[in-house]
Amino acid sequence: VATKVKERKAERPLPDDDLRQVLYLLKLCRYFDERMEAFYRQGRLPGALYSGRGQEGTHVGVAYALRPDDSLFPTHRDLSAQLTKGLDLKRVMAQYWGRIDGYTRGRDGNSHIGDWQGNRTWTVMSHLPIAYPAACGAALAYKRAGDDRVAMGICGDGSTSNGRWHESLNVSAIFRLPVVWVVNNNQFAYSAPNELEFAVPTIAERASAYGMPGVRVDGANVLEVYAAAREAVDRARSGEGPTLIESVSLRWRGHAGHDPAKYVPQELLERYVAEEDPVKIFEELLLEWGTVNKEDVQELEERIERAFQEGHDFAQASPFPEPGDATKGLWVEDGYWASEPGRDGGTEAS
Amino acid sequence: MSAKSQTLEAGAAGHGAEPRGKRTEDGQATYLIAIAEALWEEMERDDRVYMLGEDIGVYGGAFKVTEGFIERFGAERVMDTPIAEETIVGMAIGSAMEGLRPVAEFQYADFMSSGFDEITTALARYHYRSGVPLPVVLRAPSGGMVRASSFHSINPEPWFAHAGGIKVMCPAFPSDAKGLLKSAIRDDNPCLFLEHKWIYRRVKEAVSEDPDFLVPIGAANVRREGDDVTIVTYGAMVHKALEAAQSLEEKGMSVEVVDLRTVYPLDEQTVLGSIEKTSRAIVLSESYRFVGIGAEVAATIAEKAFEHLDGPVVRLSPPNVPVPFSPTLEDAFLPQVSDIEQAVERLSAW
Repeated sequence: VATKVKERKAERPLPDDDLRQVLYLLKLCRYFDERMEAFYRQGRLPGALYSGRGQEGTHVGVAYALRPDDSLFPTHRDLSAQLTKGLDLKRVMAQYWGRIDGYTRGRDGNSHIGDWQGNRTWTVMSHLPIAYPAACGAALAYKRAGDDRVAMGICGDGSTSNGRWHESLNVSAIFRLPVVWVVNNNQFAYSAPNELEFAVPTIAERASAYGMPGVRVDGANVLEVYAAAREAVDRARSGEGPTLIESVSLRWRGHAGHDPAKYVPQELLERYVAEEDPVKIFEELLLEWGTVNKEDVQELEERIERAFQEGHDFAQASPFPEPGDATKGLWVEDGYWASEPGRDGGTEAS
Repeated sequence: MSAKSQTLEAGAAGHGAEPRGKRTEDGQATYLIAIAEALWEEMERDDRVYMLGEDIGVYGGAFKVTEGFIERFGAERVMDTPIAEETIVGMAIGSAMEGLRPVAEFQYADFMSSGFDEITTALARYHYRSGVPLPVVLRAPSGGMVRASSFHSINPEPWFAHAGGIKVMCPAFPSDAKGLLKSAIRDDNPCLFLEHKWIYRRVKEAVSEDPDFLVPIGAANVRREGDDVTIVTYGAMVHKALEAAQSLEEKGMSVEVVDLRTVYPLDEQTVLGSIEKTSRAIVLSESYRFVGIGAEVAATIAEKAFEHLDGPVVRLSPPNVPVPFSPTLEDAFLPQVSDIEQAVERLSAW
């Protein structure tokens, strides 16, 4: 691992405060992922759980390159990117437990989450890459308004087999839209390995067929991911059009909480966990640089545990939605989303 | 050359003139021109309104509804797109999220199936889960009777009425088309506006020139008053029903024709009010019989007006087979005026 760190030693692209914030986010997302899986296995978490473990370097790296007014169009596996973009952990956890204070007011669960008005994150849907065309539309609006905002779409390698992925890349290049396309290549689309998904050596090389730059980065190296994303964001912002970023990692857990993922070769998983852990690698790098010391890391871990506990307690105290509200909020004019929601559903599931 | 001088020159040549210039000498507008007027007026009224679709710009649209628009409003607001229906809808969604008011044209309603997921999953379900308004209008020429066979004749309104979250309009007259389309463009919810291609150039009438002339969405209209039997219908079948009613009047039968205009949300009050008066109901539609709009209307009548009925609720609608081409087959497939007359006579005997 030590030699890996040396190999990956990069230019410091960010001030120390940002580096510490990136470490906080990486470790927060890892901690959240592990603790939520424990709740899931204990039967204490309703609904589904989609782990992004092992891919935090991709998620934090790309989202950290965005401004608050840029927009993010992620998938169910990209909670780390959403937290980086600014989602509130308390409301995230209320969402997981189906409570009224969740971002969707209990209308959706797990990481099917977003906060458009708050931090320009798309509310995730299952059909992938359903948000890619919408990212084109947001980017079109920025271009038409003449402002310098950027839209970023994230999907997995699995989405690249779908027609919409190709449509969106093609259209974004034709109209030179200010958009950054990120593919979190975690090597498996549910159980299908890369070789059953595409017949070219890499996803990134497809970019040239659409007329945009393509870059392949190491998802274990958050700074390499960030640098590529930052360059792509700057290109988009300056009117030079879209970029495709393929960030390679491995999905450490199953497609969802129920899936033991026995189809992932054991030795591959073991190698990635031992040698390609983006959280561990970055922590060691910052320790080596002296950006943090052991006490800083410990303090940071305590902060994360507190934040998680606060989020958990907030979620448990948040009421369930009022049952009678199930039919409200379909149309804008019924006023449901413009008003305070019914909070009388109690805190115990019936 | 400025857009203004282009407009004047082009107008003189018969292209690029505003649609109102294309009315008949006595000031009547066809259904097609009424639709073009609605688009033109709303584009002039609100800079946020823009159109996107295949061949709508330079070519003026497959049916020439948008002829002359690109000269007046420019290529940014009359946006020719590649043949990428999912992305056309997705772009409409993303740009609406950023405050634009897109009107996307499908070349034929049949091709809406190529954008189905973005329509039914993203467009229909986004607001309910997020509170983000999506003021998107989808326009599509639907319906048969023009010998266009399986892939240029469908009536997809049941698919989208069933999606929940999309208002679906099927006007039969130029005034209703103009007023409903203007309402749809000003509405903050997703709207599907189905333009019956058989009506485009066949029906004309005096149409309001008031720029704020609107027809409310979700309001049916008693098109012809009568006492004996009610025909509930919409779209091109309204014209068949009126023809049958005229013919039956000569035989001493009084038929009321209710034009739904909007099929979702359904104006139950107007429908049920008419049944209370006549006690006999025929539901006539061009969408399929099995699980069609007619089935829903018939069930509503049976459930909510049972005590007023003197006979069974009768459905007249095509069988669930692809729309056939040969005139003998298509005529057999579609309800004809004679079918309507016979149904009224049979039901009157109850």
